Amino acid sequence: MRRVAVTGIGVVSPLGSGVAEVYRNAHAGRSAVQRLTAPFVDRLAGPLAATVPFDGADHFEPPKLRMLDRVSQFALVAANQAIDDSLVELPLFDRSRAGVFVGTGMAGTQSNDDGYRTLYGDGSNRVKPFTVLMGMHNAPAAWVAIEHDIRGPSLTYSTACSSSAVAIGEAWLRVASGSLDLALAGGAEAPLSFGSLKAWEALHTLASVDADDPSASCKPFSADRSGMVLGEGAAMLVLEPWDLAVARGVFIHGELLGYGLCTDAGHITKPSAEGQAAAMRAALQSARIDGADIDAINAHGTGTQANDAAETTAIKSVFGARAADIPVSATKALHGHLLGAAGALECVLSLLALQHGVALPTMHLQSPDPACDLDYVPNAARDGLALHTMLSNSFAFGGTNAVLVLRASNLSAASVHACLALAAAALPSVQG
Amino acid sequence: MSTTFDTLRTILVREYQLAPDRLTSDAALEGLGIDSLGVAELLFSVEDKFGISLPPEPLQLLTLGDVVRYIDDLLLAQKVPLHAGLSGGLQVPLEVVQRAS
Repeated sequence: MRRVAVTGIGVVSPLGSGVAEVYRNAHAGRSAVQRLTAPFVDRLAGPLAATVPFDGADHFEPPKLRMLDRVSQFALVAANQAIDDSLVELPLFDRSRAGVFVGTGMAGTQSNDDGYRTLYGDGSNRVKPFTVLMGMHNAPAAWVAIEHDIRGPSLTYSTACSSSAVAIGEAWLRVASGSLDLALAGGAEAPLSFGSLKAWEALHTLASVDADDPSASCKPFSADRSGMVLGEGAAMLVLEPWDLAVARGVFIHGELLGYGLCTDAGHITKPSAEGQAAAMRAALQSARIDGADIDAINAHGTGTQANDAAETTAIKSVFGARAADIPVSATKALHGHLLGAAGALECVLSLLALQHGVALPTMHLQSPDPACDLDYVPNAARDGLALHTMLSNSFAFGGTNAVLVLRASNLSAASVHACLALAAAALPSVQG
Repeated sequence: MSTTFDTLRTILVREYQLAPDRLTSDAALEGLGIDSLGVAELLFSVEDKFGISLPPEPLQLLTLGDVVRYIDDLLLAQKVPLHAGLSGGLQVPLEVVQRAS
């Protein structure tokens, strides 16, 4: 198996666009969760969301824009950022040895919602001709492949909230095994349509609004947690063989070291600590390391009663007494739950945490829960840590548990800053 | 040149950002970047603008002139009355109105 480097990152998220802004906001604990402003909010029990200030017209010409659901717009912009960041010269690349791997849970839900409203609400007998093409799950991956003329596999993974962790893990397998020399991997989600929000509301998993501070409504691992907040956005990575990245002399964000995947085969929604632990163990085995090598964890940490308690139990099960010494960050308090894109965004945040030697904060954790008694880095980032290896956990409805193992490249924090500054100066502004 | 053509041209300039001087009656749709999928979408707008209903059968429209003739035939067959269903200040071709009345 070949070592796999992450040489490009693109991110369009509630915490910002591009890694610098995203890291800055995550480190500062600035929540992007807010009261949703939309014409239908009066019909929502808890009108909260973590939205992206994003207008597709800023990135795409009208003829193309009409064919792109918001989820594909996010995917394309994030993929373009990642390609630019990697400095890979695709025209010189054998594109049959490149692939696209995108995770999405709900795909073009806005387009489907629009179509149904036209039919059922307006009583029309026709929907837009592009409805199928905008709503289909593989649209984001297909558009990314078209945009960059990538001729290898273009695959879509839909395993609910672990979709993009699975996409990144499956891409890693292809690059590590030698079947591909480049992969664009990540996830995209745009779930904030009225129909989608009502469907999530009906599951009774969404947080109630914090009356004092709506931005603090998502409270992972806190005793007063009431659920998750939906978010939108996309994150994409460029993966390539380590030796190729070194030969190209490009900045390496980190190494994707391993990937664990398992299925609960139990309840359709109820998390299984056993299944979550199995995925973490599989990830460690895949990376050929043991629990003692893990310096920090980006938790799935949704802010639901069930997940956070189960994940705490699972981490204890895998790491034993050492679990209490491992910083566990739940960044969903800040960016919301991006569902199929969550794993990719949290993978990016983990890479940034490794680069900067920082455990990112779990915000809004004011009430300790006896069932959640690990070190969650409450309410403030912890700087100056010697972080080498992290897990990024993603668990899903349907029982698909995916865990990524990430390792820092050997660059010091100072050289990282210097490289980022050089790259920022050398690159033109990102064009979606 | 019919008003149907002018209306189509307005749509293509505004929504497809095509240069007006490229929009001649014999201009090939493919050459304008409008493939079969694009034609379906264009006709979706046409339905709204002209207040007509398109049959679901696949179409073989190759030029802008083909689209104009197709719309005019539908306007005639569906006897769309003067100004009915039109929006945005668009006009039904006079000869079509005369033939339909």
